[in-house]
Amino acid sequence: MHLELGKIKITDIQFGDLTKVEAGVLYVNKQELIDLIMEDDHIKGVSVELARPGEEVRITPVKDVIEPRVKVEGPGGIFPGVLNKVTTVGSGRTHVLSGAAVVTCGKIVGFQEGIIDMTGPGADYTPFSKLNNVCLVIEATEGLNQYEYEAAARMAGLKAASYLGQIGKDIQPDEIKVYETKPLLEQAVEYPNLPKVGYVYMLQTQGLLHDTYVYGVDAKKIVPTILYPTEIMDGAILSGNCVSACDKNTTYHHLNNPIIHDLYERHGKDINFMGIIITNENVYLADKERSSNWTAKFTKYLGLDGAIISQEGFGNPDTDLIMNCKKIEDEGVKTVIVTDEYAGRDGASQSLADADPKADAVVTGGNANEVIVLPPMKKVIGTLDYIDKIAGGFDGSLRPDGSIEAEIQVITGATNELGFNKMSAITY
Amino acid sequence: MKKTIITNNLLVHDKYNEKMGIIYLEEFSYLDILKFVRDKIHKGHKLLTHPLSGSIKPNETPFKSVAISTKKGILDLQSLEIIQECIITTEKFIKVKKTPNWTKEILEDFSLIDFSVIDGAIQSMEQFYYR
Repeated sequence: MHLELGKIKITDIQFGDLTKVEAGVLYVNKQELIDLIMEDDHIKGVSVELARPGEEVRITPVKDVIEPRVKVEGPGGIFPGVLNKVTTVGSGRTHVLSGAAVVTCGKIVGFQEGIIDMTGPGADYTPFSKLNNVCLVIEATEGLNQYEYEAAARMAGLKAASYLGQIGKDIQPDEIKVYETKPLLEQAVEYPNLPKVGYVYMLQTQGLLHDTYVYGVDAKKIVPTILYPTEIMDGAILSGNCVSACDKNTTYHHLNNPIIHDLYERHGKDINFMGIIITNENVYLADKERSSNWTAKFTKYLGLDGAIISQEGFGNPDTDLIMNCKKIEDEGVKTVIVTDEYAGRDGASQSLADADPKADAVVTGGNANEVIVLPPMKKVIGTLDYIDKIAGGFDGSLRPDGSIEAEIQVITGATNELGFNKMSAITY
Repeated sequence: MKKTIITNNLLVHDKYNEKMGIIYLEEFSYLDILKFVRDKIHKGHKLLTHPLSGSIKPNETPFKSVAISTKKGILDLQSLEIIQECIITTEKFIKVKKTPNWTKEILEDFSLIDFSVIDGAIQSMEQFYYR
């Protein structure tokens, strides 16, 4: 499968009469976007606001972040099985408004989390402070339950990203990157002397506000399967995960998965990147056993020498991670696991809820219990009412001057377990 | 495998009370539920769902529902290992910050999410045959 990814660099964002890109500036017709979102009768109101890098703006509570993309050539459309037919995507050409994103906010439940600061110390912890963000603050109609509200907010974000992505269709990209993974047997012989490496991609799948979708299917109902890496760049995997802001994978993370990116960078140089095994993180222990048995089976079936395993979320996925690691190692396939830590505020406590001597190669996204003070911002997009009610916040988190003292787990993407952040730790 | 749900969540109790075994422990905290489950595992029950289900931290939500086997057998070491790690993790969180006194509305949201998480697991258990 061969995909050209054309990046149209966005350096600024403005409201305008026409939604377009001109000289790197993304102009958004606000009313047109509002009308599109309001087509859904589950939504009572939406406010559309812009947030640029360096501005004194705080966005909260963030639900998802989505990058605008459009299929230019090849089968299918972006977000297959949801916004487009379930056609298999990942080949042809896709254009990206790189440097722009849609950020959805909404009070789906009373306790909240997810902060993006566009400047100040908090901005260093989230990659989304570097983007030109179109923020949608979504208000649900009266009487809508939490499931319906979450689904409406999720859909609104995807529709907005697709609407913006469309304008990139006829624009010449600033940069074109080519990604290719061949069918298994061809790929295996292309670089016969390089170690064959695969990626085991764990998806959060546990219920309300904890779900992920693959081609529109609730991933808690799948058994592990194989995807070409480029399918993910076309939106085959979507986030419905709104809990644990620091280590959830937003849709933006899925589209720009840095593990996939880095494996491709080394593809043909010192590794042969064979493809992706997606798996879930279910609550029922028999599901965990089955899924980890299958990931191990696939690593052997694909003839891998090594596998990278990434986790999503806190607590019980630690068990899936270690099950995957142990069983894959037992197949004779070397593993590296990617996770984050809840090691207490001093970093001295045990980091994960599970462990094994075979998990001897670990990449960490950082300690989510680390405390940070976020200074007040001039403008808040969304609401600050809930800062005392967020993961890692505590009574009195929101000080009278508007500053916030909390653990970095309040910040969207702070300890991302795909490594889409700056923090890590190295031991020898 | 015939299951029993151990919960401090009234919503879970009300939804499943007539369909399966439920031990409803109204006054129990999140940690109390885990310790109760641990004692059951010591007596030979098997853990069926992961006790740290959901990404909501153990010092955030007061609600916890866990499924164990109704039947007793010999001590299941994997179950014991998992529950012990979960208790250590929960104590670590509570030591730093206790669960706040949430408003009624927020408690209802936590209750619904705990229900949704255990409900997904129950659906998964019952997709082939119902007991």
